[in-house]
Amino acid sequence: MNFWLVLTVNSVTFGGLLFLLASGFSLIFGLMRIPNLTHGSLFMLGAYIGGSIVIGLFGFKMNFWLAAVLAALTVAALGALIERFLLRQLPGDQLAQVLVTLGISFMAADFCLMVWGGDPMSVTTPEGLGGFARIGGAVFPLYRLAIIAIAVVVAIALWLLLDRTRLGAMIRAGVDDPDMARVVGIRVSQLFTIVFALGAGLAAFAGIIGGPILSVYPGLDQDMLPLALLVVIIGGAGSLLGSFVGSILVGFIYNFGQALLPELAYFVLFLPMLLVLLLRPQGLFGRHVP
Amino acid sequence: MATSALRLDNVDAFYGDSHVLQNVSFELGEARMLGLLGRNGAGKSTCMNVGMGLLAARRGEVSVFGEKVTRLSPEMIAARGVALVPQGRRIFRSLTVRENLIVAGRKPDAGSNHAPWTIDTVFGMFPRLKERTAQMAAHLSGGEQQMLAIGRALMGNPRVLLMDEPSEGLAPQIVAEVMATIRKLKESGLSIILVEQNPNLVFDVADDIVILNTGGVAVVSTPAALRQDDALLRQHLGVF
Ligand SMILES: Nc1ncnc2c1ncn2[C@@H]1O[C@H](COP(=O)(O)OP(=O)(O)OP(=O)(O)O)[C@@H](O)[C@H]1O
Ligand SMILES: [Mg+2]
Repeated sequence: MNFWLVLTVNSVTFGGLLFLLASGFSLIFGLMRIPNLTHGSLFMLGAYIGGSIVIGLFGFKMNFWLAAVLAALTVAALGALIERFLLRQLPGDQLAQVLVTLGISFMAADFCLMVWGGDPMSVTTPEGLGGFARIGGAVFPLYRLAIIAIAVVVAIALWLLLDRTRLGAMIRAGVDDPDMARVVGIRVSQLFTIVFALGAGLAAFAGIIGGPILSVYPGLDQDMLPLALLVVIIGGAGSLLGSFVGSILVGFIYNFGQALLPELAYFVLFLPMLLVLLLRPQGLFGRHVP
Repeated sequence: MATSALRLDNVDAFYGDSHVLQNVSFELGEARMLGLLGRNGAGKSTCMNVGMGLLAARRGEVSVFGEKVTRLSPEMIAARGVALVPQGRRIFRSLTVRENLIVAGRKPDAGSNHAPWTIDTVFGMFPRLKERTAQMAAHLSGGEQQMLAIGRALMGNPRVLLMDEPSEGLAPQIVAEVMATIRKLKESGLSIILVEQNPNLVFDVADDIVILNTGGVAVVSTPAALRQDDALLRQHLGVF
């Protein structure tokens, strides 16, 4: 299989995974005006919880997809609790909120190390997707194509939610002007909880979906968080389209950078972020300067 | 004495350390229109923000139809039937016209005796918004944005409407349209505070006038009395 084609498929796959992670991060950033530094931890936690269920680590075993949904729901509930009982206690104090999310991310890392140990956990590819698809002259790993399909489905679902429902319009109103949203009677603090839980669930879902290609290991959280930040700075906080385009872009930059300029991988990755911050601080599709 | 729709009693308010409102008291009577006048920076918008809960009074009380709402959040004050048409309009720019209205929808109070505001009745009042229903609010003209801001406030089926300089930055012909709308709203029985810098706009429609000067109430009067008192107007508002 052609080197460039492989690289392209890997880039799109990784971009799709990043979209699952970063779309929630971006919504939280847009609405609550804080970078949620637990987002990498939620990704890792989802991967560990889901992976454990898939391999039956805690005595019960489930089909990959059920495990993914269960992990996502568990972590979504955890996200709702973090928002309600910690962040909610510090209304308007964004710096304190960010520090709380930083603290939780360290605690989560410790917790995962205690429960799952230091060895990487490999997650088996879901049944039936271990093979390859032959399209034209090229061969594609089925599971990577599945990730792309899942990302597209989630993107459409999120778009329908945000663009076609009253709840979605309320969330966008809150992103636009939180004070006016409250003035027209929108309970913005409830939206915070909903969006935080949604973002947490999506991050966890991304974690388990990414498990078979990334595996799960201590430090996965800190590998993923900067990428989510990157997507949001490039795409613009609170913009779904921005998350989508940003994720695909970062997917390409990450994979091509690692393949072609491995010594400069981080340089290549973060240079576009600096350029965007300098030239268009609100991001390509955003309205607010973060 | 009749119930007051909105009352500020001895309100002091601060932005950080700056003491912006000092011992401000006034009341808006039910189904009346109060014109709130004052120069740039006199504290008019701050009064609206305190009434709406966007800024908490540090001292004093705010009440809506006799119920204390001091230090309640804006969403809770909105739930008690207060709506704000803010200075600068502040419509949700990335939402469509229709979405701007939908997100603000609130059922009227049980005791309300006139027809509730819905998207259709708002569009009936502002046919131009209806033509632009699917357009992003950011792309509306200034006058249309002001109509949308008013329509959005009405979607909350308020009992008290706070309007902060609705004529600001609009062409004279559009100002006349907006004022005609305000007159209709008053006739519908809504209690309204109309903030303006230009007294002549307000004198034609308001029942009562309060003039603020550097964060305090300087004059409480009526349009009829103030029309006779150029010296007083000049003292507190400058020359017109
Ligand atoms: N967010 C803020 N932070 C600090 N000071 C403020 C803030 N908003 C207003 N002020 C100050 O408070 C005072 C009252 O402002 P306010 O906006 O209430 O005046 P206003 O009467 O509405 O004026 P205008 O006619 O220009 O709208 C002014 O001195 C203003 O500079
Ligand atoms: Mg003002």
